[in-house]
Amino acid sequence: MKYRNTKLMIALASVALLAACSGDDGEQGPQGPQGIQGEQGPAGPEGPTGPEGPQGPEGPEGPQSAFAAYTLAITNLTHGQPMAPTAFILHEPGFHSFAATQSASLGLEILAEGGDPSMLISEASDAVQFLDAATNGALLGPGASSDAISLIVPTLDTDNLRLTVASMLVDTNDAFTGVDASDISNLAVGQTMMLTLNTWDAGTEINTETASTMPGPAASAAGGGGAAAGFDATRDDIIDAVRIHAGVVTKENAMDASKEGLASSVLDQSDRFDNPSARVTITRTR
Amino acid sequence: MKLINTKMTRIAASTLAVCGALSVLGTAQAVELEVSITNLTQGNYFTPRLVVAHTDAADLFEVGTPASTALAWLAEAGVIDDEQEPASSGQNFESVLGPADTDNGSNTWHRFGGLVAPATTLTYTFDTMDKPLLSLASMLIPTNDAFIGLDSITIPTEPGTYSYYINAYDAGTELNDELNSTRTDITGVGGTPLGGYAAPGVAGAGAPPIAPSMSVGGTGVAAQVGVDMDGNAIGANEVVDGTDGPVHIHRNTLGDTSASDGASDLDSRVHRWLNPVAKVTIVVPAA
Repeated sequence: MKYRNTKLMIALASVALLAACSGDDGEQGPQGPQGIQGEQGPAGPEGPTGPEGPQGPEGPEGPQSAFAAYTLAITNLTHGQPMAPTAFILHEPGFHSFAATQSASLGLEILAEGGDPSMLISEASDAVQFLDAATNGALLGPGASSDAISLIVPTLDTDNLRLTVASMLVDTNDAFTGVDASDISNLAVGQTMMLTLNTWDAGTEINTETASTMPGPAASAAGGGGAAAGFDATRDDIIDAVRIHAGVVTKENAMDASKEGLASSVLDQSDRFDNPSARVTITRTR
Repeated sequence: MKLINTKMTRIAASTLAVCGALSVLGTAQAVELEVSITNLTQGNYFTPRLVVAHTDAADLFEVGTPASTALAWLAEAGVIDDEQEPASSGQNFESVLGPADTDNGSNTWHRFGGLVAPATTLTYTFDTMDKPLLSLASMLIPTNDAFIGLDSITIPTEPGTYSYYINAYDAGTELNDELNSTRTDITGVGGTPLGGYAAPGVAGAGAPPIAPSMSVGGTGVAAQVGVDMDGNAIGANEVVDGTDGPVHIHRNTLGDTSASDGASDLDSRVHRWLNPVAKVTIVVPAA
C-alpha cells in the first residue's frame, strides 16, 4: 500500500515539472495532491503482563501429561473411635510401611501410639519405591469422611501401583486402621476403587486402656490423654509384632463375678469396634 | 515328583516347534502351589492344617449347615487323621477324603504338621494334582470348637501371587464353655474328663503347649459348671456338652481378667480376636 502511493506521487511530480518548463508563465496551477503519510512513530512503553497461558499438552496437568493424579478420601466406620490424621502413601511394589507378623517401625509406633503420621511418611519417602504421600491433617470423627487429598505419580507407574494407608484409632493404646501395599494398578482415568480397612495392633504397647497411655478424648475425660499419653518408646506388648487388633476389652463387667472386663480401662462399651473400621475411596482423575 | 514334572515340561517345550505336543503334555502337568498361612491373631495358635485340592464332589464345611463328624474332630480336637488320634479312625477327614498325598479322584490333601504361633507365617509347597478348588481348615486353640476356614476357592491358573483373608468359624458342635481342659476339679456329665472330641473344655489334642499356661477356676461362659442349659442343677462339679447351631462365623471368645476365678479360663486381654484371623497366600508358578 505504502509502496504504491510512493510510485503515484513520483509520477504526478514529474508531470508538474514538465508543465512548468514547456509553457509560458501562466497563472498558478491548482493545488497539488496531498503529500505522503509520515512514518509510524516509535512503539509505546510495554503494557502490563497478561494472564498466564494454558499449560502445554505434556505438562503435569496437560492431557498428554507424563503424570497420573489420584484423589483419596477416608471414612471412619467406627461407632465411637476418632481417627488421627491419615497417612496416604503411593509407592511401587516391594515397600511396606508395615506388615503383619513384623515388628513395627519407629514411624508406625509413633503413628499408632500418638497419632502423628509424619515420621511414617518420612520413612516411606526414603524408600526407592516411594512415589507420593500426603495426610488429610485432621482428626476425623466417627461416621465422618475426610476431605479429598491429591497424589501424583508418573504415568508409567500406574500399571503396578500400591497404596498404603494408616491412621490411629485415638481411644486405644496402639490400634490403627490401615492397609499394607494394596494393589491399585491399572485404574483408568475417572475410575473409582473402594477399599475397606482392618484394624491392626502395632504391637508396641500393651493394651492397658488407661488414661495415661492413650492420647484421645476418652483418656482426656478421665484426666489423662493428650501428647503425654501418646508415644512412649518402651515396647511392652505381649508380642512385638503387627497383627489384627483383638478389640478393646473396656471396663464393662470388670467388677462383676464374670471379671470379663479390664479394671484399669477408662473405655466403655461405646468404644468397641469391629472390622472393617474405615473405608478408602481412590479415584484416578487423569 | 516336582523334578520329573519340570523335566517333562522342558522336554515338551523343546519339542513344541517340531511336533506341537505341548498342549497334550501341558495339561497333564500337576501344579505345585506355594501356600503361606499367616496367623493374624495375638493369642491363638493354629493346629495342624488340612489343605485340600478338590473337585466340587468334596467339601470340608458349609456355612449354615451342621458340621460333619470329621469337622467336629478337627474343630474340637485338631484331629485330621488316624496318625494323630487312632480313636478318630473312621470318623476323621482321612476317612472321608481317602489317603493323604494321593489322587483320590475328588481330592488330594495333606496335613501340614506343627502349630502356627500368633503373628507368624509358615510356608509350604502343595501339589494340587490338577484339582480345580482349594479348601483349608485348622482349629484355633485355645477354643472349644473354633476353626479357620477357606471354603472351595477356585485355584487361579494365571501365574501370580494371590492373597485371601479368612475368618474364624464356630463348628457349632460344642458349647463355648471356655473351661481349661487340663482341669481335674470339674468334669463332663458322668465324670468324663474334659478335653477333645465330644467332651467339654477348650483346647484338646493339639494343644499341650497352650493349656498349662491358661487360667483355672472359671465357672463357664456359654455353659456353666453345675447347671444344664435349662438352668437345672446337675453335679456341682460337672459341665454339660451340647451344640450351638450350624457352622457360623464365630462370635469370639469372652475371656476374663482373673487367673483363678471369673467366668472363663481364657484371658480377655489375650485370647480374643477380630476377623480376619488368618491370611492365606498362594503362589501359582509359571508353567
